[in-house]
Amino acid sequence: MTELTLPLRGLISRPLRTLLTVLGIALAVAGFVALTGLTAGVQHSFASGINENGADLVVSQRSAFNLVSSAVPKSLSSGLSAVPNVEAVSGILLNITTADDAANIVMAGWPSDSFLWKDMHLLAGRIPAPGDQWSVILGESIARALDKRVGDTVELQFQPYRIVGIASFSSVLNQNSAIVPLEGLQQLLSREDVFTLYEVRLKRPLDKNDIAVARTRLIAAAQGFEVGDTEQFSSSIRIFDLLRAIAQTISLVVMAMASVAVANTLLMAVNERTFEIGVLAALGWSPRRILRLILIEGVIMSAAGGVIGIILGVLTMEMAAKTNFAAGLIVPYLSGWSIAQALIFVFIAGPLGALYPAWRATRLLPADALRRI
Amino acid sequence: MSLLVELSNVGRDFDGGRIVAVDGVSLAIEDDETVAIVGRSGSGKSTILNLVCGLDRPTRGEVRFEGRAVNGRAAWAALRASRIGIVFQNFFLLQSLSARENIEVALLGNLGGARQRRVRALELLAHFGLAERATLRPAELSGGERQRLAIARALANRPKLLVADEPTGSLDVQTSQSVMSIIGNAHREFGTAVIVVTHDEDVAALCGRRVEISDGRIRSDNRMTAMPTPAPTLRIR
Repeated sequence: MTELTLPLRGLISRPLRTLLTVLGIALAVAGFVALTGLTAGVQHSFASGINENGADLVVSQRSAFNLVSSAVPKSLSSGLSAVPNVEAVSGILLNITTADDAANIVMAGWPSDSFLWKDMHLLAGRIPAPGDQWSVILGESIARALDKRVGDTVELQFQPYRIVGIASFSSVLNQNSAIVPLEGLQQLLSREDVFTLYEVRLKRPLDKNDIAVARTRLIAAAQGFEVGDTEQFSSSIRIFDLLRAIAQTISLVVMAMASVAVANTLLMAVNERTFEIGVLAALGWSPRRILRLILIEGVIMSAAGGVIGIILGVLTMEMAAKTNFAAGLIVPYLSGWSIAQALIFVFIAGPLGALYPAWRATRLLPADALRRI
Repeated sequence: MSLLVELSNVGRDFDGGRIVAVDGVSLAIEDDETVAIVGRSGSGKSTILNLVCGLDRPTRGEVRFEGRAVNGRAAWAALRASRIGIVFQNFFLLQSLSARENIEVALLGNLGGARQRRVRALELLAHFGLAERATLRPAELSGGERQRLAIARALANRPKLLVADEPTGSLDVQTSQSVMSIIGNAHREFGTAVIVVTHDEDVAALCGRRVEISDGRIRSDNRMTAMPTPAPTLRIR
């Protein structure tokens, strides 16, 4: 017999209540993992999508609220192209819309002379011909989801587009995106004079120092705008901060509720087990040891809830990411920090919830406790 | 021979002083005594026993153990863990634990590792004729076996004082004699002082001292005969 025997037996002897409490904690942790993971996933998804296009640096509006609201004037183009060591610059226009009113999709408008077309891996069809502004290349995943082939038509931003190619990408975002000629999209969005961002490709060979030097020069050429790598770009989008704040606030509330559930369960357990606590006290268990007994029960439930919650959270993210309206926009992203935060929570909330019941248990006079059988 | 427990003018009230369970009790018990506290139901004898081993807190007066005033739950818990063993009328065994674990739970914190505790528990079970019952839960034991287990648990830490609250109250005559024999044996083998609360005059007659309680006060305090010779099969190491 060890210190763990009694807490474990205590929990096993009330299986349903233990299970429900563990489930409560698990749902709170799952909520936290899913909310923070999906928020980070959106950000990560955009960063990896833009990164895949071969850009080394991105020029965007400083502190844009959301991805599509970023506006960088066309007039910057020549200045950026003139920066030493810059191989190519391409302005792109991004938009989030529905495809055939069936799935959310990212539309990316690329200029016909953009370097971005060169690295595209076409599975079928061709790239849009110059002047063919209502043609589109669909990512492989969205084409499959919509059951579209080359030659079919798809409605994007209330405009019928003819599918001229299907392309394969490595990022989930691009796999679920539609690449269209810039001019048409500018017309549809009435944003003729601006891009969402510029993707800048630097000359090879390239090391970190070259990128830093080029970045400094680009900042000088694009004063008042944000210049950074794709991760920095996605981090600067303010809506992600807002999403993160919402996710964390909801998570905190849910986790506080889980903590109360632990307290409630243990309080009931302490009331039910007053006699047992009295016997232990009569046997010479110190108040500190009795406190530890109840706390250990809280920690065991929280730890079990934490592990189950992380698994549930991951499954929830996977399910959310597979829905038509989230596919491609949301990529499940489980960071070590998210797991650490969830575990920190369970190892604080569990003992915290157990603290009051445990304290109450130690305040009982053994004689009073033994009288309550 | 030295003073083990001393109650000085101890009182215990309940319900905000409306019920006076114990009033002005002074009692000194030596470390080699066997004491029977007798009295009718509600006379206050169990309350006195609770005060002797710190299960309850006196409203007035002072309780001293081995010459020192004991105050606070932790101090009393430490004494009960090492110097005082308690046997209850209703055994008060933990139903979720096996017979062996019921003894081990009293050893937690006093005896090093799990293996040592297990060995000591099995040793005690063997001495009390319960070796074959080690893995059974209390509900699977007979009344006599439960009380033997409760006594084994109380003696697990080799206490200086064994207190028993109506230890034979739930048992038949034959089992009662066996239980009292074990308690007497503990007194002789360990040199453990014994305080027994009982309303059974036959049990009281087995003790060397008889303290009669009525209305929360000591009515008489007489030294009598010694405890009976124990049965050889129930020797305790």
